[in-house]
Amino acid sequence: MSDVAVAVNDLTKVFPIPFRRSKVVAVRGLNLEVAPGQVYGLLGPNGSGKSTTLKIILGLVSPSAGTTRIFGRDSREVGSREGVGFLPENPYFYKYLTGEETLFFYGKLCGLRGAALRARTRELLTLVRLEAAKDRPLGGYSKGMLQRIGLAQALVQEPKLVVLDEPTAGVDPEGSREIRDLILDLKRRGITVLLSSHLLAHVQEICDRVGILAHGVLVREGRVDELLAIENQTELVLENVNPEVLAQIRRLLENTATRLVEERQPQTTLESLFLAATNGPPSP
Amino acid sequence: MPESKPGRFSLTRIAALAGITFTGLVRLKAFYFLLLFAFLVIGSSVFMAELTFQQEFQILKDVSLGAMSIFTSLLAIVATAQLIPRDLEDRTIYTILAKPVPRYEYLIGKLTGVLLLLALSILAMSALFLGLLFVREQIVVSATLRSSAGLPAAEVEQAVRTLKASAFNANLLPGIVLIYFKAALLAALTLFVSTFASSNIFTIVVMVFAYLIGHLQATARAYWLQEHGAGWLAHALLGFVALVFPDLQLFNLVDDIVAGTAIPLALFARTAVLGCVYTSVYLFFAWVAFHGKEL
Ligand SMILES: Nc1ncnc2c1ncn2[C@@H]1O[C@H](COP(=O)(O)OP(=O)(O)O)[C@@H](O)[C@H]1O
Ligand SMILES: [Mg+2]
Repeated sequence: MSDVAVAVNDLTKVFPIPFRRSKVVAVRGLNLEVAPGQVYGLLGPNGSGKSTTLKIILGLVSPSAGTTRIFGRDSREVGSREGVGFLPENPYFYKYLTGEETLFFYGKLCGLRGAALRARTRELLTLVRLEAAKDRPLGGYSKGMLQRIGLAQALVQEPKLVVLDEPTAGVDPEGSREIRDLILDLKRRGITVLLSSHLLAHVQEICDRVGILAHGVLVREGRVDELLAIENQTELVLENVNPEVLAQIRRLLENTATRLVEERQPQTTLESLFLAATNGPPSP
Repeated sequence: MPESKPGRFSLTRIAALAGITFTGLVRLKAFYFLLLFAFLVIGSSVFMAELTFQQEFQILKDVSLGAMSIFTSLLAIVATAQLIPRDLEDRTIYTILAKPVPRYEYLIGKLTGVLLLLALSILAMSALFLGLLFVREQIVVSATLRSSAGLPAAEVEQAVRTLKASAFNANLLPGIVLIYFKAALLAALTLFVSTFASSNIFTIVVMVFAYLIGHLQATARAYWLQEHGAGWLAHALLGFVALVFPDLQLFNLVDDIVAGTAIPLALFARTAVLGCVYTSVYLFFAWVAFHGKEL
């Protein structure tokens, strides 16, 4: 057993373009480590190599150079995926299966059966709040519901590592909120989460660490608050301040090296506003 | 926690994959379309002949077995061709192979699903065919009895026995089983082609060619050997062709069956084993092409 959940060493992936001489370098010399219990966000614009990296970690695509390991086992071993759950980008499952049948199927692939499989399925349907829809075929599920059944499918064998490719893309803010809550819940239970997103705002509050990819190269890496902090600035947020006090503060700063960069009223994000305004009963 | 160790052969996983494949195939419109068409051909064979009784049975068997052979082969090709491309397109393959599922189990599961579908359809077609044969037999027997009233009992009995022998005989079953083996082999070859094909249409076109060459090559080989003699090069070439395009004519015992010739057990066993070997070899080829494939 290794003390690193995911290790990526000098990973490079080159895709040849058929019938042309040129090649696409999707990932270039990538190194990263995800510690157990962490929520790690792989960020970057579309085409920056996030999905490719995740697929290599899961053994779905083979690396051109370098290695990837899950809890110390090489991704090329089938056994490395024993304790791993994966939700691909924009997943479609078998449309003709119901939500419950889908979980039965993935449970059986992980070696569950009988009463244990039924109990686990019930538990997961409750967790992702799809009990009411469990007998409906997935063909009629909304994008958010598909994403949630996809998450349940990834969790079926109680994995130690969950890999989520763009889990909140294309989902409305409320669905996105629910998915983030589920991820936080996983973190509380000690499950390592590796996720990707092209929107930092979607994941900044749930990630412990992020890596930013651009054109297949890791350009920044670190804790979210460290990456976002502007180190030589401090923000004061005051409530019920009257103009007089403000004037005093300004006067106080006049003869120092401190410069008042900006004075404004903090704003809520559009997303929180939307969430607050549409805070009705959640749809199943 | 999982009972079966990953990386090791698991029948539970293969059964789950086969079940899901079968359920998906049974929902394909093409399946019902082909089955309905086969039923129509088998059913209409009754009307194709109003000749003497024995000829009627011959035509009924000839047409029905021919239809069963063509339709199960077509079904094997059409059903298998879209399995992997569809999983790739819908990305369901990612969720499956991201579980501890070895790729050979995925392929075996897919093929088993098709084999179940083929078994179901050949059972349905056989039921219709044998049912029709039985009904016609009853009708003809009672007509014979009626028209031969007054003839000596022994003579009538003899006539009825001949009639029954020409209608249903035990040869039909091995013949049907070999039709199934041929379809299984075609399904495995289609699975192999679909692992590297760029589209479903490509797979189906290649397979239709393989089907035609497979049926014609025995004749072509006989002609070649007669014209050019049998050098080692000719033998090697023909052997290669026979590996790539299986000699499907070997599985075609319809003529013997229709003629009522007994199929020797040894011939049946040899053909059945050949079918299994071809099926396994193609499945192995499919694995070779698929195990390192980028998804
Ligand atoms: N199978 C493939 N064949 C060729 N190029 C690919 C393939 N998969 C991805 N790419 C290319 O690799 C780059 C990275 O893609 P991807 O990993 O999907 O990015 P992201 O998930 O960050 O949007 C893109 O330029 C994409 O076009
Ligand atoms: Mg992507």
